[in-house]
Amino acid sequence: MSLAWRLARRELRGGLAGFRILILCLALGVAAIAAVGMLRAAIEGGLADQGSVILGGDAQMNFTYRFASVEERAWMESHAAKVSEVVSFRSLAVAGEDRALTQVKAVDDLWPLLGSVGLEAGTLAEAFAVKDGLPGGIMEKVLADRLGLKLGDRFKLGTQVFRLGAVLLKEPDSATSGLGLGPRTLVRTVDLALSGLIAPGTLYETDYRLLVPGADLDALKAQAVAAFGDKGLQWGDRRHAAQGVERFVERLGSFLILVGLAGLAVGGVGVASAVRAFMEARVATIATLKVLGAEGSLVLRIYLLQIAVICGIGVVLGLVLGAGGLMLGAPLLAGVMPFPVSFRLYPGPLLEAAFYGAVTGHLFALWPLAQAVRQKVTALYRGTAARVWPKAVHLAAMAGLLALFIGGAVWFSGSWKLALGTLGGVFAALLVLALAGLGLKALARMLARRRFVDGRPGVRWALAAIGGPRSEALAVVLSLGLGLSVLAVVGQIDANFRASIARDLPAKAPSFFFIDLQDAEVQPFLAMVKGNPAVSKVETAPMLRGILTKINGVNARDVVGDHWVVMGDRGITFSDAPPPGTKVTAGVWWPKDYTGPAQISFAAAEASEMKLKLGDKLTVNILGRDIEATITSFRKVDFSSAGMGFVMAMSPSAVAGAPHTSIATVYAEGSAEAAILRDTSKAFPNITAISVKDAIGRVVDALGAIATATVLAAGAVLVTGVVVLIGGAAAGVPARMREAAVLKVLGATRGRILASFALRSGMMGAAAGLVAILAGAIGGWAVLRLVMDLPYRFEPWSALGIVLGGMVATLAAGVVFALAPISARPARVLRDAE
Amino acid sequence: MNTVLDLKDVRLSLKGNAGPVEILRGISLTVREGESLALIGPSGSGKSSLLMLMAGLERATGGTVSALGQDLTGLDEDALARFRRGNMGVVFQSFHLIPTMTALENVAVPLEIAGEAGAFARAMAELEAVGLGARAGHYPSQLSGGEQQRVALARASVGRPKLLLADEPTGNLDTVNGAAIMDLLFGLRDRHGATLVMVTHAPELAERCDRILRLADGVLA
Repeated sequence: MSLAWRLARRELRGGLAGFRILILCLALGVAAIAAVGMLRAAIEGGLADQGSVILGGDAQMNFTYRFASVEERAWMESHAAKVSEVVSFRSLAVAGEDRALTQVKAVDDLWPLLGSVGLEAGTLAEAFAVKDGLPGGIMEKVLADRLGLKLGDRFKLGTQVFRLGAVLLKEPDSATSGLGLGPRTLVRTVDLALSGLIAPGTLYETDYRLLVPGADLDALKAQAVAAFGDKGLQWGDRRHAAQGVERFVERLGSFLILVGLAGLAVGGVGVASAVRAFMEARVATIATLKVLGAEGSLVLRIYLLQIAVICGIGVVLGLVLGAGGLMLGAPLLAGVMPFPVSFRLYPGPLLEAAFYGAVTGHLFALWPLAQAVRQKVTALYRGTAARVWPKAVHLAAMAGLLALFIGGAVWFSGSWKLALGTLGGVFAALLVLALAGLGLKALARMLARRRFVDGRPGVRWALAAIGGPRSEALAVVLSLGLGLSVLAVVGQIDANFRASIARDLPAKAPSFFFIDLQDAEVQPFLAMVKGNPAVSKVETAPMLRGILTKINGVNARDVVGDHWVVMGDRGITFSDAPPPGTKVTAGVWWPKDYTGPAQISFAAAEASEMKLKLGDKLTVNILGRDIEATITSFRKVDFSSAGMGFVMAMSPSAVAGAPHTSIATVYAEGSAEAAILRDTSKAFPNITAISVKDAIGRVVDALGAIATATVLAAGAVLVTGVVVLIGGAAAGVPARMREAAVLKVLGATRGRILASFALRSGMMGAAAGLVAILAGAIGGWAVLRLVMDLPYRFEPWSALGIVLGGMVATLAAGVVFALAPISARPARVLRDAE
Repeated sequence: MNTVLDLKDVRLSLKGNAGPVEILRGISLTVREGESLALIGPSGSGKSSLLMLMAGLERATGGTVSALGQDLTGLDEDALARFRRGNMGVVFQSFHLIPTMTALENVAVPLEIAGEAGAFARAMAELEAVGLGARAGHYPSQLSGGEQQRVALARASVGRPKLLLADEPTGNLDTVNGAAIMDLLFGLRDRHGATLVMVTHAPELAERCDRILRLADGVLA
């Protein structure tokens, strides 16, 4: 056993009392990172284990607005053991006078090929069975409740009447659906034959789920894409069953891990303070060891070994807290997740959390340690240790640890931009906070000597304590300020998000989108809504859906990457003349009655992003048919108003004969919306109305869930900050005890002393809060403007909450830890101090 | 006899809030092997600072300090620490025992640091020599002031140093304990043949030394 280790062990025998804050700071940061990492691994594990069930088969072939052709169906039958067809579309479910938007999923008898459906009661066959001449349908409880339906009650989809056969609890393949605009209704496809909902040109998708046990999925995919890829086929298989969920989890997970890192940085400040306090208590021992002949390196090793042991305890405690907490909450979490989650111990995320904890602990401990061992013995004994720089070798070791930390963050997060951006933000915030802390000290020192504090001794003591030697100001502003800064950034982003959705959009957004209007219905529909005095504006346009597959003959994704225009199908309109209000920015619109080769007018901003030029040739697949068109004009399209906006408009002759429907937007007073919905759906049962307000509500709900997750993570950072704060307050108790004793000897009342202690805490909290507001404004602006390209406006309420929170937290900690000093008997305190 | 300590024109100034403070102003002295020297003088005269310079615990701002033929002024902190091993034993007024170690461990530490064999057996023998064999397993907080200083004496002498430096070793003790400590200190000095330099306020203790030097305002009076 080495000498350093022997001596370290002797010191550690005294117990961990001096290390409580250090252990807690590390444990909280590690726990947050471990829990987030484990959750992410559990979701990914669930998606991997249950890929086939989530997808509803081993592989899936998807078509937009059409069923598979005879040839495609034959290919599937020849390659798969089983093929199941699922049709999805939006519609209005009508029960009496009530109507609600629903995502309809129409299935065949084989569905679900894998997994099972959860119903409140009965079997799938019983629920779908025809009774009293009415086929059965299944609804989510929220939809049935909204329409006031009980089992056996009637409802209509289009012109087809169904009876409610069962209430849906869980679909095995719901994770592939993404964000729906309404709750689910399940019916059998054959029962929709008379509904009028699946007509040529209406907006629906078909998924063909294939069971291909033991097949080489890569080879199968290659064959299918070669045969039908140019006809609009989208392939999916069990390996990445829910890509949307995967991407979401990956991004949210990375983000949360980085918030966790900010938490560790806050904890790191606590670690540094705790190590400094620990080293201060060991100053005499270090001096004595040096007197007895110990070199600086031996002293450093003795204390580094102790820190390593303590960090180990903190890390293990953090892993137990994080993983244990998650496993305890597993049953609850598994219940609310819309996709399967495999909770078990994943070593990867635990190792990641342990890595961060160990590196942070040593990084923040090394500076005060390296400083302490460089002090002169006499300075240590006198308690007059000056600020000295650590040795070059120790500075190099710290730089190495920092590089390891940053490298680890980049490696584990998988996004160097996100990792470096976050760490850069944390370092910048720490720098600003350190400057603010020093500024506060200087200001307090200056104010303590001003006239206005004459006759206010409590204020003078508070200012002197903040500005004087051994002030807690820097530690408090750093630890609490960083926690509050993270919360402020999240708060500003969240408040701006909500504000832009809730306030800016509805002012100019329409009340309804109506989809699936057949040509013959357009004029009667327009006559009906225009006759309503509450309607201020109606717009209609014919619409087809198509996929932009090639640009100048080259695969579009190879040209423009993952630009949203080429990621899936887009609405395409056609028109003889530019619709009213259209602003052509370059080129010219085709002449009226033009019948030549297909031409296309493209949205100007998107064209610029995709580097398209006039004269470029685009291949668009519409209902399985490739149409090549030349770009002859660009026009301005405003997608932010939620009104009608098409990226592509084509010359009418190009799509002549293609089945299509029309889309309409209706702008009306809010009070008239219910009547418009009732009248139009009664007169035109097969068209679907989408309430923009409801749709926005769904998006806001989804955003709300994300915001809650991030606020919780930011809250963990704040909790760490508060722990650091409490640690600082607890460490300052002996000094306050002596101060209070002396003040009492000099005649100060307990109330006056307490008020002075509270005042200094409040001032430090307010300073931390003010810096957090600045950091929140800069961080919020950067994320919204630079990352999300959204407008930013300072949100004062969120900011005010941050300052008040900071003040209350420090005030509470200050007051709680002032109670013992003010109630202690002065004689005893002063005698002990001698 | 060989010269153990040789100080030439030693100066020490420390930074104070109101500017530099001259603590020592040109001290020159030599101490020979086996000699015992008492440094006396009023508070603030620079006695303890001079002792710290001799121990290599403080760095002179001018002049040279040689101990056992080694010029201390050119050595860095680590070299000074290595030099003290086996060459010097220091006793403080406030004992400066390591609170997390037992009496035995405290005494064994210098031998352990020097990498010497049988550290604990030798430490035990030294503790017994100061009459504390029965308290070897006690922590400093469980010992009285007199007992703590006896442990400190055992620790200072366990490495058989050629030079014993004591800074007011009885300053925190009552008369009876103070006298006992002095007996032990001189007993150890005699037993090991060490040179002793002691700072004290007490004339009766100073008179037990071979030579007395008086400091006043940073110079030898």
